[in-house]
Amino acid sequence: MAEENNWKEAELRRDDIKKLLENTKQLAEMYSEIIGIKKAGWENVLRSREKRAEKEKQNG
Amino acid sequence: MAEFSALLTAKAEWKPHQIAKAGDLATLAAAATALAETVKSTLKLASAGMEVVKLLSALQNINPLLMALEALADEVLKQIQDLKEAGYWYLYVDPYYEGNVTPTQKYNYGFEQLRNKAGKRIWEIKDDSGNWTDTTNIPTLAQLNEEKAKPHYTSPRKLIPGGFDRDNPLQDPLRSSSDGGVSKFPTFNTKEVIKEFVKAFDDEGDVPRYKLLGAVSDAPKAGEVVYDDDGNAYIGWNPKIDFGLELFDLGKASENGSTIKNYVAARKALNSKQSVGKPNILGNTEFDGGSGAIAIIIAASDFQSFYDVFNQFSKMFSDIPEFASDTGKNLLDALTEIVTPNKVTVKLTQVDTKYQSFIVGDIIGGKIYNSIGEIVEIIDGSVTPTLMIGRKAVGDTDDEGNITSVMEDYNMNPVDRWIDMEVIVNPIRNIDGLNPWITGDMVLEMEKRGESGNPEIRDDVFPNYVFKGQDTTELPKASRIYPKVAIVSMEKLMVLPDSTPPDFGGIKIKDIVPGWGEFFQLLENFVLQLKGMISDSNAFIQDMIDMIKQVEEFLEYMIKLIDEFLKFFQITLPSQGVYALYIPNQNGGNKGIQDELSSATGIPPLGYAAGLLFVGTEGDKLIAGGGSKNPIDLLALVLGLL
Repeated sequence: MAEENNWKEAELRRDDIKKLLENTKQLAEMYSEIIGIKKAGWENVLRSREKRAEKEKQNG
Repeated sequence: MAEFSALLTAKAEWKPHQIAKAGDLATLAAAATALAETVKSTLKLASAGMEVVKLLSALQNINPLLMALEALADEVLKQIQDLKEAGYWYLYVDPYYEGNVTPTQKYNYGFEQLRNKAGKRIWEIKDDSGNWTDTTNIPTLAQLNEEKAKPHYTSPRKLIPGGFDRDNPLQDPLRSSSDGGVSKFPTFNTKEVIKEFVKAFDDEGDVPRYKLLGAVSDAPKAGEVVYDDDGNAYIGWNPKIDFGLELFDLGKASENGSTIKNYVAARKALNSKQSVGKPNILGNTEFDGGSGAIAIIIAASDFQSFYDVFNQFSKMFSDIPEFASDTGKNLLDALTEIVTPNKVTVKLTQVDTKYQSFIVGDIIGGKIYNSIGEIVEIIDGSVTPTLMIGRKAVGDTDDEGNITSVMEDYNMNPVDRWIDMEVIVNPIRNIDGLNPWITGDMVLEMEKRGESGNPEIRDDVFPNYVFKGQDTTELPKASRIYPKVAIVSMEKLMVLPDSTPPDFGGIKIKDIVPGWGEFFQLLENFVLQLKGMISDSNAFIQDMIDMIKQVEEFLEYMIKLIDEFLKFFQITLPSQGVYALYIPNQNGGNKGIQDELSSATGIPPLGYAAGLLFVGTEGDKLIAGGGSKNPIDLLALVLGLL
């Protein structure tokens, strides 16, 4: 076993941190997408309300 | 010389480590947890809110997206949990910052010997007529012993680091550091780091210690049965004695199905950890069970390269408290100060212009305290005549012709021969370290006479500075060379320079990330408030849209920041200067790791080194993708060693 475990020059990485950052970033991106859809929905609601109010106004 | 003085009694200590529980990474993990949990709870509200926005065509696609988001939030939470559960012992062997081991001091103090312009030592040889003449030919030991030859010391004599060595007179103290010559930086080589790693397992007193919590009278009486973390029973309890493991008043055997249904929920801790101790399983450091290790050594043949690799390494391991940027002056700061000390402003007085005034580029040195530095700036407006008021007796004759003597002030510097000036000095490290500029010390112009270090290694050669003209002090006055001269008035405190981004001092996750959870919590509350009113008011809907816009901006900003950090963590640490030894889980306990560390080969004997050793012991649960029960294998995986 000792023969196998020898010192080596190592290119160290931190995949744990990288993965955590990537996942958190993806979480933020997806959440952003969802609230974007929600925002568009509210904007539609608002526009249709305004149109309806305008029509009602025109119709007296 | 001061920075290494505290190193003589220190020793490296074992400490516990859990990924994602310390430093910047812990802050990130905490914030990611808050974000994931808040996202999960707001998802329910998001679905509820969608009922109102039925008009949106994208609604058909929203459910799969919500499910994916929830799954991702779960994954983030699980990853953090896994990282937190993986615990290690770590041992940091550090000769350079509040050092816990002692680097070798490679110089002696001795009288300064004159050197010629090429840096060769000057000797005095007695000829047959008894006359002494100078030579650079090294005499024999017999000549020195018979006092037919002697080193030509500076006059007056001066004790310096790396001066004449009586015990080894023939070898130049400034010979190559690879041949035992002086070194500006204390050396601690790779073999010594490994020796410290191995030694750390041998310290019999370095065992975990748990002290009683609360009063003796409140604890179970001596002889009563107590329980470990897993609920196993132990005899031999005594509240007055420290034990090596965490103990509780209840365990598996205490469950009776009525008053105690779950011993974990009902139990009370009897003691708390006072010291971590070396790697152990339930307090036993002599265990035979599974243990594994990852040893990392940062090493280089010259100090500058060591510093460069350490710089990268410390950023990558900022979750190790010693490397964290938020604990005041950290390891890297200490090393930076050794390699590139901060500039200082020195106020000089009585600069004697008869021997010329100092200019930018001059190398100056303190006569008594061995400070050395290069003048990089003379502060505008700081050059003024030195105020030198003397007192002298003046004869005063009165009307009757009697002469009386009175004392009067007079200007001792009438033609402005002496001036004051403030200079900014780039300190130069002497062989015994950085020395301060002490008020009252004489400052003289210096010149290069030879070099120290290792000429075979780039960046490891340093000029040897001596006082200008010191080899002419015994000559007739007309032949002497006089250096520029002044007196230190005082050293001014300098404001520390700003850190240079990108670094963890420049962009701190901990300063930015904690706001995430709070921000989303705010959003959740906002949505809750609106839930009952949305259909009633256009103004509220507009508020909702504006709020979402703010959230979008915040998320965009957050993603940008994560990208900044990812840029750093996406790189791998260059292999040059970093050596790793991975000892996978083995059944020999601490002794097995010691044997592996001692017998492993393949690391060159480099002069400047520091090391980090992680040790993990086998647990009950499968981790690292189900392939191991030892968290060390998970660490090997994430570090890229597998």
